[in-house]
Amino acid sequence: MTPSPEKTPSVKLAWAVSWSAFWTGFPLKLIVALLLLAAGINPWEGGGLIALLLVSIPIDIWALGLTARTVFLERLGLDIDAPVGFTLWWQGAVLGGLVLGISYYAVSGAVDVGKKVAAGIIGLIKKVFPHFPIAEQITVELLLWTIPVTILALVLLLIWLKLFGWCIKRLIASSGTTSSASYFERVRQWDSARVPDDVGLMITSFGAAMVLVTIAFWMVLPVTTPHPHQDYQMPEVSKPAKPMKPEDALKKTENSLAKAEAILASLEDAKSKESKKPERKGK
Amino acid sequence: MNALFQQVYDFVEERIGLKTLEAKLMKEPIKGGSRWAYVFGSVLLFIFIMQAITGMLLMFYYIPSADHAYASTQFIIHEVDYGWYILSYHFWGSSAMVVMVFAHMSQVFLWGAYKKPREMVWLVGLALFGLVMAFGFTGYLLPWDQRAYWATTVGVEIMDKTPVIGDFLARFLKGGPTPGQMTLSRFFVIHVMILPGALMGLAGLHLFLFRSAGPAGPFRGTPDELKAKTDFFFPRQVWKDIMAMGVVFLIISTLALIEPVQLLEQATPDPGDYHPEPEWYFLFLFQLLRWKVFSGEFGQFLGAIAIPGLFMLLLVALPFIDRNPERNIFKRPIALLCWAVVMIGITVLTVSAILNREFLD
Ligand code: HEM
Repeated sequence: MTPSPEKTPSVKLAWAVSWSAFWTGFPLKLIVALLLLAAGINPWEGGGLIALLLVSIPIDIWALGLTARTVFLERLGLDIDAPVGFTLWWQGAVLGGLVLGISYYAVSGAVDVGKKVAAGIIGLIKKVFPHFPIAEQITVELLLWTIPVTILALVLLLIWLKLFGWCIKRLIASSGTTSSASYFERVRQWDSARVPDDVGLMITSFGAAMVLVTIAFWMVLPVTTPHPHQDYQMPEVSKPAKPMKPEDALKKTENSLAKAEAILASLEDAKSKESKKPERKGK
Repeated sequence: MNALFQQVYDFVEERIGLKTLEAKLMKEPIKGGSRWAYVFGSVLLFIFIMQAITGMLLMFYYIPSADHAYASTQFIIHEVDYGWYILSYHFWGSSAMVVMVFAHMSQVFLWGAYKKPREMVWLVGLALFGLVMAFGFTGYLLPWDQRAYWATTVGVEIMDKTPVIGDFLARFLKGGPTPGQMTLSRFFVIHVMILPGALMGLAGLHLFLFRSAGPAGPFRGTPDELKAKTDFFFPRQVWKDIMAMGVVFLIISTLALIEPVQLLEQATPDPGDYHPEPEWYFLFLFQLLRWKVFSGEFGQFLGAIAIPGLFMLLLVALPFIDRNPERNIFKRPIALLCWAVVMIGITVLTVSAILNREFLD
């Protein structure tokens, strides 16, 4: 019934683990990205990106641990006695860095070759259909050179999966023990890895977390549009009286008193000067 | 707390038979177990409910008159608390609905779920597809800016070319010689009354027919294998559906924040330097009509009416033409090829239209 770990292709194993781990972590990361966006921070660049990547680390470790244990139990009938999430996360990350580095050079090379081939094919098409519209031409050309690039990207992904699959197999070989439970008991076991015994507690805490996230979202979300229309004029509304601040009010009074005193002094000064002047005519 | 809950439950149970209802709704067997591929229909229902909620909130402020539609939409964007977000969610929700309809149709097509005994589910589904597109077309006019006005003008002109009913349809929708108050009123009523009512009714029928026929299930595996893996709708499929809805909600919200709705100038019967253009999911058709072969009176009829109409007819006839009970898509090469050609065709035309708009016009 249960296939042995050695016989399972490592690519298949790595795919099963990483694909479901990706989707397990994705919603949580999306929530973080949404909160950042609502707060006016761009999560795709600068500080926002760094924050998002940092938050992603624990999420990925947790997601990898959960999905890897599930795959081991369900498909291979194995229990693992090791920090699965952490081990697989750093190994996957190192391999990912390696493959990304290679792909940087490989893909740009493939793009160049692909572009040349595509231009050739378009030339042929234009001989047959001289009125081929220009936009469609560009699109077909784009499509033509993205095909080899996509194939190359897939090959690189396969290489990563193969390597990652080896890591997984090594982990299984070193710390896996065959579970004696039947398929249905194992299903129940991995169900309970997700759903704890106290379902009420889980639903309450899950609900509370959702409420908190929702409140946080509405608190940071701008009340009016962050992109106002350049022609739109806010209608004049009589502004409500500003709230009174005692300190400011005191300072203001002091200021105006001081001003008044200064004016008074200057007036008196002027008067005394005037009185010294000879009397005006007509008085 | 639990005792109180139990009492309330028992009270309702005694009167309406909650247990049978629960058994009917939740204990539906799913052959071969739950799958992510089955979430699209439920996600469509979810998006529709969210469109209804955000739409009702917008109606608190929106005024469907040629004099006030534009100003009231600007008011929603600039002054109503969170109005810009609700409007932008509604806007992106409509695109999500179209994307999901394509995904759902592709799934049921590739899984061969339109075949006997699910022909009626498929037919009602096609009617729902028409409704979703009509929602997009009528909603587009409501902000009453240049984009809205001119897309509608062009759209109605295209409809006018339909034989027999075209003239009536165009006059009925416009309500006058040029788009104006009558057009706006009619589009508004269709958008907020007729289409939602029709969609609710037909979606109910769709689900009834779906439940009567039972889910098609995986296209591979022997009956024994499928039976061994069969699971109820609750909890695993329900969980998958809820997760998919959550992700869709987050994606729509993210799009609303990245690219909130911004209006153009208020509608005028003079396009100025504005190039009329429909919503992106009609762009492929729009691009097709620019081809030389489709120029001229007859060409336009061919591209705008005859070809799309024949394609829809083909989809209607599909379960009756394709009577081979084989459901495995890898053993239906013609079906797979047709699907790929349609998808690539739509993608190429849409990208071309965008290239035209951004760089060439
Ligand atoms: C507003 C639009 C629609 C809604 C709300 C909707 C909803 C649903 C739901 C909830 C299901 C149940 C299971 C599943 O999701 O696979 C379903 C199944 C189905 N739908 Fe739709 N649907 C819509 C549009 C369509 C369209 C456009 C088509 C095709 C033309 C279609 C064809 C089908 C078929 C054939 C099934 C049976 C699938 C199976 O047995 O596996 N539906 N729909």
